[in-house]
Amino acid sequence: MDAEIYIDNNSFIHRLDPRVKIIIFLLTFVAILLFENPLWMLPITVLIVAQLVISGALLNLRRIRYILIVLTVSSMILWNLFSTGETQLFWRISLESLSFAVARTMLMILMISAGMILITSTRNEELVNGMIMLGMPYRVGFAISTALRLVPTIVSSTITISQAQRSRGLDLESGNLLERVKKFLPLLVPVFISTIRSTNIFGMALESKGFGAKEKRTFYLVFEMRKVDYVVLAFAIVFMAVSVYFAILGYGQIEGLVRF
Amino acid sequence: MKEVISMWKNTRMIILVALSAAIYAAFLIVFKGGIPIVPGITEVRPANVFPPVFGLLFGPAGAWGAAIGNLIGDLFGGTLGIGSIFGFVGNFFLGFIPYKMWGATFGLVSKDDMSQTTNNFKKVLAFELVALVSSAACGIIIAWYLDIVAIVPFAFLSITITINNFAAAFVLGPILLVLLYPRVKRWGLIWTDIMAEEDVAKGFAKTIGSILMIVGSLGGLIVGVLVAVGVAGQQLYGFTGEQGQVAVWLSVLPFLLMILVASFMLSGREQFVEEEE
Repeated sequence: MDAEIYIDNNSFIHRLDPRVKIIIFLLTFVAILLFENPLWMLPITVLIVAQLVISGALLNLRRIRYILIVLTVSSMILWNLFSTGETQLFWRISLESLSFAVARTMLMILMISAGMILITSTRNEELVNGMIMLGMPYRVGFAISTALRLVPTIVSSTITISQAQRSRGLDLESGNLLERVKKFLPLLVPVFISTIRSTNIFGMALESKGFGAKEKRTFYLVFEMRKVDYVVLAFAIVFMAVSVYFAILGYGQIEGLVRF
Repeated sequence: MKEVISMWKNTRMIILVALSAAIYAAFLIVFKGGIPIVPGITEVRPANVFPPVFGLLFGPAGAWGAAIGNLIGDLFGGTLGIGSIFGFVGNFFLGFIPYKMWGATFGLVSKDDMSQTTNNFKKVLAFELVALVSSAACGIIIAWYLDIVAIVPFAFLSITITINNFAAAFVLGPILLVLLYPRVKRWGLIWTDIMAEEDVAKGFAKTIGSILMIVGSLGGLIVGVLVAVGVAGQQLYGFTGEQGQVAVWLSVLPFLLMILVASFMLSGREQFVEEEE
């Protein structure tokens, strides 16, 4: 499987400072959550779709289309069952519950899209350095960036071990639930052992290079905010402030909706 | 909870965070589909055995590893979203509770043999207990939050997450621990061999803390679900109709606070025992 999600596009969004992208990502979450009426979610939807197109993240969304379909179907069913309203349409479905289900589905898809835009347009090291520059301790940043770098390697060795065990007759698809779960042992143990055994050598290598010797450290990768970064950030903050203002005034709710 | 912070000054613990996060994320990605229990609703994800095992073997590094691993799983799986924030917190507790409770499981783990393995029946029971409690804690933390932001209903998600987490740990956990413990111990990577005792929280009234953790996790699950489906709580708390969800938030909140308080009461220091030469 291809575990690499970053797309090397050099788009306008790719060129933004990673700190700006992280802040926009967090603001987007808040903006999406402010309204429960799908019509009031349209402005943020337009902005996210525009970013998806510009960054090329639509390609990655296509890769997870089955997850998105399952989420859409389950969300539409669940929220219609867990809410009701005054304007009955058919069976248990009311106009209010349908609107709410659509809004909740949009919310999930938009959040996933916001995450996809961030990781499609930002390299792992940029993402982690951005978080460190926003205040995250570098030791935590190191753990995250190391894990991010190791995942494709471990995924690949898991697949190799899985194929090797299958060639020896391991059949993960047959048997009852208990038997099937137990069959994962020949995969879990080798992957765990082969990964963890390098810990001590890894630790010595790091300490020999002075890791952890000082509370502050320097980085090869240094970012500087440009004018365009400030403009984009200012736009995001203004958009957020206006959204919060309307939400406080009570706009964007669904009249007559009853949630259980 | 002192060790959760103090562990970051230890290079080997930092590496264990990274490696356990990478293993957990890799298994989440490769075996994304899992084995269905109720098709389309609940499944056993083999990766879910890792957080409690990591927690017991690597202590706070395992807890951070589970949290970061789940986040990376979301990232690579393309499902990074608002749920990931409390997915991080929930998975942290999935790895955190097992090592904190291990020495306070009402005598199931004897003071003479605190080793983090399932080499006798009582320890298997202790493992299943801590795995169940941590699974439920993870379930209610994530479901409570996602219910507040009205993404997924509590009654549905809390049970689903608890079953998903516990099923794999229940079956695979004890076997995996027995197989892995001797090797990890030989490499000197058990958390009590890496960390200094004084870097771990002292805790207080650990048995009460353990009871509080069980009540907080399992009680929160049961009460939350009852309130959410409207069988008991909604009338009891006096919230009806549109305010129905407020009842879920308020009824689960005290249990979440219990989990938090219990986290400060429990220690982990009791697992530091002098070994015979």
